[in-house]
Amino acid sequence: MKINDVTIEDTFAEAFTMRVARLVITGRTLGWAREAAVKLTGFATSVIGCKCEAGVERELPDSETPDGRPGVSVLFLTMDKASLPEQLIVRVGQTVLTCPTTACFDGLPDAPDRLPVGKALRVFGDGFQASKVIGGKRYWRIPVMEGEFLIEETFGMLKGVGGGNFLILARDADAALAAAEAAVVAMTGAPGVILPFPGGVVRSGSKVGSKRYTNMIATTNDAFDPTLRAITPSQLPEGVNSVLEIVLDGIDGPSIEAAMRAGIRAACRPGVQTITAGNYGGKLGPHHFHLRKILG
Amino acid sequence: MSDAVTLTLATQPTQTLVADCIAADRFAALGAQEIAALPVVHGGRPATLGAFFEVRGERASVVRITGDCRRVEAIGTGMAGGELVIDGSVGRDVGLAMSGGRIDVRGNAGANTGGAPAGAARGMTGGEIIVRGSVGDDAGARMRRGLLVVTGDGGQGTGKGMIAGTVVVFGKAGPGAGRFLKRGSIVALGEVERPATFGYACTYRPPHVALLLRYLRSRCRVEVAEGQISGRYERYSGDLAELGKGELLRWVGA
Repeated sequence: MKINDVTIEDTFAEAFTMRVARLVITGRTLGWAREAAVKLTGFATSVIGCKCEAGVERELPDSETPDGRPGVSVLFLTMDKASLPEQLIVRVGQTVLTCPTTACFDGLPDAPDRLPVGKALRVFGDGFQASKVIGGKRYWRIPVMEGEFLIEETFGMLKGVGGGNFLILARDADAALAAAEAAVVAMTGAPGVILPFPGGVVRSGSKVGSKRYTNMIATTNDAFDPTLRAITPSQLPEGVNSVLEIVLDGIDGPSIEAAMRAGIRAACRPGVQTITAGNYGGKLGPHHFHLRKILG
Repeated sequence: MSDAVTLTLATQPTQTLVADCIAADRFAALGAQEIAALPVVHGGRPATLGAFFEVRGERASVVRITGDCRRVEAIGTGMAGGELVIDGSVGRDVGLAMSGGRIDVRGNAGANTGGAPAGAARGMTGGEIIVRGSVGDDAGARMRRGLLVVTGDGGQGTGKGMIAGTVVVFGKAGPGAGRFLKRGSIVALGEVERPATFGYACTYRPPHVALLLRYLRSRCRVEVAEGQISGRYERYSGDLAELGKGELLRWVGA
């Protein structure tokens, strides 16, 4: 299969079931909401080292937020149920609570699994906090020096999908970067999806474990490193000198598929030779995104 | 089973009619004849609901009451769920000690709306009462939880002795509003007389008020000005003669 002379390999991306929460952060201006969201989702690229994966899903106009102010929707994922509230409580407490003018709302109101994030953070109010029930939902009002921080008592948690991916194999680093940037633009704002890595792009894709260091859980994906072509069992076709990866996490499989479709199509541009995907032979992750099926 | 139960006042009571049997959640399990046979008290004498109201529909948790109900008292007493719409004015004790659901009064309501039964420590413990008019004295008195919205004026002692919950008054709040408040909020969008035992805290934009007023505008079709949503409020803490964890929020403009 080819798109714009770019070969789409007959392979699949292998992804994992994760736990996901959606937070809606609002602020006096979009700028302040964005400031909080950027801090909240900082150092959250991969569960390998960050214990969570997070990113901005999209920016929300006044008409789409609970308090009628501009906002940002954020997705937050962890590998298990227990670590999601732990991460949220620590991170929201240090980044959203501290950020001027912001308020924090649940973006998954229909999810039956509830995480007591606001309930835990309320104690920052040192007994001066107060709750309000509005429209059947409980909110906590935490007094702060600026005025009050408003946060919903509980946040919904769903089973999500983490680790959707595709690799851009290009003639050179410039072509790979241009294709990755085009793919990110095409996927930005896709509902239910985040790209947790810097600018949505990964240059250091990894393999499980290590050939040399027993304590490493992930090391460089040498099969796709162009500088190691001559000394490893390389999977790079001739003419490929740079590879970049796009990693996607999302609420569900169809959301990731839709974003991958848009992203891969945008990445098929001059200088790109092949689009492939990372997998573990289908043995580790239950979600398989077959590239040709998605693009067919 | 019907979409709604409609009670039409067919025989105007000559004296006070205590109809504390009317509650949306109770009607959800009753047939039309059972509803008509519910007991009421007319001028101190026992009677049945059917002697005054024509009942249409059955087994529904949405109840609509039409007719001049100014002599009808205690509608929605102890209501725990469902929706009760009163098309017109109603007597005292509406939503007495209710714990859930919504009562929408499209007219004025009498004294002790959402209040507590005589001698009881707690008034309403949940749910919402929207009065699209004015209320009598002691509305929301001893409220423990819930929401009372008055688009007109409040009487004397609105929200007196509240333990928690929220009272919103769009008109004049009436003298003694919030006196003996322990916790809870009184949001005064019109004129309000601040009790001497309330202390000024600050002037700010309370985020929960914006959320609440937007909810009232979108979900309850209450007319709310944009300036009231995004506006500034003076916060008075009180009642300092009690626990002092309550608040009186007075709108001071955009």
